[in-house]
Amino acid sequence: MFAQFKDWYDNRHDYAKEWKAKTGGKVLAYMCTYVPEEILYAADVLPVRVYGGHEASDLTEAHIFGMYCPFCRDCLAQVMQGKYDYADGVMIAQACLHMRQVYSSWEIHKPTEFMYYLPMPIEVGSKHARPHLAAEYKLFTEAVEKWVGKKITDQDLDRGIDIVNTNRRLMREVYKYRLEDRPPLTGVETMHMTASSQMVDKREHNKALEQLLKELPARKRDREPGIRLMIVGSESDDIEFMDMVESLNATFVADDHCTASRAFWNSVIPEENRLQAIANRYLDRPPCPTKDTTTHWKRFEHVLQMAKEAKVEGAVIIQQKFCDPHEIDNPLLRKKFEDNGIRTYFLELDVTVPIGQFKIRIEAFLEMLRADDLPF
Amino acid sequence: MITAGIDLGAKTVKVVILKDEKVIGRGIAVTGLDQKESAEKAFAGALQEAKLELKDIEKVAATGVGRTEAPYATAHITEVGADAKGAFFLNPAVRTVIDVGGEEGRGIKCSAEGRALDFAINEKCAAGAGAFTEAMARALERPLVEFAKLALSSTKSIPMNAQCAVFAESEVVSLIHAKTPHEDISRAVHDSIADRIISMVRRVGIEKEVMLIGGVAYNVGFVNSLNRGLNLEVVVPDHPEYVGALGAALTAAGK
Amino acid sequence: MSEIKRYKTEPLKCWDKAKELRSKYYRDYAEAKSKGGLRWSGGAEAIDVIPYAFGEDVHALTAEPYAAAIAFDPEFAHKCEAALEAKGWARDMCAYMRNYWGSVLINKYAFGGEFPKPDFHLQSGFCCTHAKWFQVLSLWEDVPYFNIDIGQIPFWKEEHPNRLQYIVDQMHDSIEFIEKTTGRKCDDERLIEGVYNDSRTTSLWAKITELNQNTPAPLDEKTMYSLYVFTTLDRAKKEFMDFYEELYDETKDRVARGIAALATERFRLMSDSQPPWAFLRVWRYLEQFGVVSTGSIYTIGLEGVWDIDDNWNLTPREDLRSRGVVLKTREDALRAMADWHLRRPIYAMFYNADWKSKLMIQYAKQWHCDAAMLHLNRGCEGTSLGIMENRAALIKAGFPVLTYEGNMGDDRDFDEGRTVARIDTFMEGLGLKKLT
Repeated sequence: MFAQFKDWYDNRHDYAKEWKAKTGGKVLAYMCTYVPEEILYAADVLPVRVYGGHEASDLTEAHIFGMYCPFCRDCLAQVMQGKYDYADGVMIAQACLHMRQVYSSWEIHKPTEFMYYLPMPIEVGSKHARPHLAAEYKLFTEAVEKWVGKKITDQDLDRGIDIVNTNRRLMREVYKYRLEDRPPLTGVETMHMTASSQMVDKREHNKALEQLLKELPARKRDREPGIRLMIVGSESDDIEFMDMVESLNATFVADDHCTASRAFWNSVIPEENRLQAIANRYLDRPPCPTKDTTTHWKRFEHVLQMAKEAKVEGAVIIQQKFCDPHEIDNPLLRKKFEDNGIRTYFLELDVTVPIGQFKIRIEAFLEMLRADDLPF
Repeated sequence: MITAGIDLGAKTVKVVILKDEKVIGRGIAVTGLDQKESAEKAFAGALQEAKLELKDIEKVAATGVGRTEAPYATAHITEVGADAKGAFFLNPAVRTVIDVGGEEGRGIKCSAEGRALDFAINEKCAAGAGAFTEAMARALERPLVEFAKLALSSTKSIPMNAQCAVFAESEVVSLIHAKTPHEDISRAVHDSIADRIISMVRRVGIEKEVMLIGGVAYNVGFVNSLNRGLNLEVVVPDHPEYVGALGAALTAAGK
Repeated sequence: MSEIKRYKTEPLKCWDKAKELRSKYYRDYAEAKSKGGLRWSGGAEAIDVIPYAFGEDVHALTAEPYAAAIAFDPEFAHKCEAALEAKGWARDMCAYMRNYWGSVLINKYAFGGEFPKPDFHLQSGFCCTHAKWFQVLSLWEDVPYFNIDIGQIPFWKEEHPNRLQYIVDQMHDSIEFIEKTTGRKCDDERLIEGVYNDSRTTSLWAKITELNQNTPAPLDEKTMYSLYVFTTLDRAKKEFMDFYEELYDETKDRVARGIAALATERFRLMSDSQPPWAFLRVWRYLEQFGVVSTGSIYTIGLEGVWDIDDNWNLTPREDLRSRGVVLKTREDALRAMADWHLRRPIYAMFYNADWKSKLMIQYAKQWHCDAAMLHLNRGCEGTSLGIMENRAALIKAGFPVLTYEGNMGDDRDFDEGRTVARIDTFMEGLGLKKLT
């Protein structure tokens, strides 16, 4: 049922190359889920998000100093190894200091015909961010028009909004099944679904989601879910880790990740000014810690809400080593969880993960949670 | 002219005696708490091999982290300078020197005249030192030489953290518990260090010929990993751990 | 051995005044409330002219220089860092933030007494950490917080009107915020005066550092670290502006008379990033080789405001009054300040490694540097952004480069012995022996 998503995830580059050959269209590799994919779909461009390869590399130290997060170094390694050479364009929606370096190095060493830095504002709660971001989207749209050689009309934008909104809506539908007492899908399967949505044409992904939604209701609920967990973090597609956890009589029933729900949770609400509508969506979405500054801990409220809805018993907080915004949030987020009766376990991640050592820790955490369940 | 070079490293002291540009004696000792005493011991060993006495040595130069503590030395040269000189002397075609010792790893870019043009040294997060392989050999309860050779019979590549020795060690423990064949673990360990070293050396650029020096050059597993990672064959001189001391002896001879 | 050339040298006349001004600043902040005044705290890039407009008795505590002062006292710094780590915070976060937070947690002011709580926080979130720094403090101290987002792109490179408008709009809102928080009203006349002062202060600093293009350099970088700080403390303050007028005159005089910062200057370096504050003696070690560090794109560009042309040539930007800019209203003042504020080179450096490389190469050329010494600063992700690309670019442009790892705020990440060994190696490679 989820095999298609896994296949897309595992063979992301082959997919993009085949898409190019089949459609004759352009592929844009992007960093950060604040990139307005709607505008790219409106331009008939395929946006694919850059992910790391989870392999140690000797290529990045000459470009990025070792104290920057493993994810950005892993992404750059993929770029320097030529894995994204098929990309016709590259862009970043100002994400964070670490990821900016990937964009910079890419521009220096392997520039493509279209390179764009979108200055996504951080004060997403300010009313002034709205017209400002819409104006930035106008500049961006003009740049894309010049690149692809055609005007992007309101109809094109409607189409782009529809494609992406549909994808969001369908994935949220799937997420409802995770709330069940015996969810018919695991966290690993969910991650394959959500991560692959950032790697393939969402129109195809939507078809697969529709098929999945037809089949899910009838899927056997014979898997013992065990402890209900939430996984919270940043750009973490650490599937090997999640698989290990779920082999220990536990299931991830909720998440807050930009490789999962945080990227797609809210939709564009249509309005006459399409670019403003898209801008409003990105400003209002569950914020990344880099954008949750004076929004009064909006992210925490959202995460806790998701945890409660899914009846989460424990939260595993995984964080890319060296990431300041997450490091600033995490002690307080943990306290928020604990104050609301949800125990937490914190793990720091690198490009590769010491599965054995992490297993020992997770086993202990789960044992602790099971002990909490005992009536005496 | 007879000169001597002392390389007073953190773990070992090496001494080379040079006569008319020919090495006639070598000595080595563990660097104890009394660095001067350790150096004197190594020096005595070299003199014995050369069948000379101290008074026969016209000039002594020292290198290494403890060079200012070296006895008899009237000139000093940094490790990078000494490495470049020594490597160039052994092979004038050398343009990149990789020195992996117990504690530190260095990458040096050399000119056609044997001068160090640029250098890189492993930073804080480092699985790039020989101490790590020794620790991993102990974890597998094998002598280091055997552990190194094991890597050559592995055909499997297991990705391992190349950023941090502590992380990498964690991963080795996991592999042991998962009953991974020892040859595959050995290869993973050596690949991880090689990755780390190559990563650092890329900062100065990799240009042939590439010479590997330092004690870790004896480690056949590491050499194999390095060659695969660099996609070339590094030159490993005889007595690779003495190249720094040789560079110091050349300095004493006015080279 | 050939005679070592020696230039005339003499200490700076205004040095003691600098020390006194700085001490007074920290005293004023601590004593503000007892004199009926207000206290506020924010980052070095906070638009401090805005609180300035609320009265002469409004005193600032600029976060980064305060944290640097903590770093300068390792014993105190360790207490701050330990307190934070005990509460579960990571030790690889911004070192300045950790020192400041720690000082609040242990409730000790680096200049004696308890930590003086501010009435509000005002910040310019130009990096991920800065925007969140006061978000947490606001929670701990129960103090209101306003962040002006500078838009995450250097405005001067691509001057789209919405980018300036976004900041001006937020500045207006920040005035409302302070009025609501303090019950005071913004004095627009004072605001205008502050804007002129700010532009003069930062223009002067650029002009002062430009004088270091001369040989011999009239100022050395270690000295400059004690002088640039006023551009971060409160740019609108007249006493800081007046000090820079004095420093500018004195530095011009030193150039005219050939007075050197280092008598034995024979080799010129540029550096990068904040220095490891607990180890400024490294700059004195360099002097043993006859090496003077002229400054860096950081020392001149953190607060100095420059005109940068299409070839990246740097020229100090003339202040607003000198340019004939007339400010009549609050809107005029805010717009002019936002435009001025965004022209700092630092805003290019935080966003694009290639731009930073170009600025560094241009600095090296204009300041006649022979080599560069780059601090791989684990304490600051912003100033270390792209530093490995910068290194490669400088080498390609023909400048030898030394890198060393360290931390501006946490001395545990700096290894003095190894750094000195690297300097020795670098000097040997350049053919420079110690002079004594």
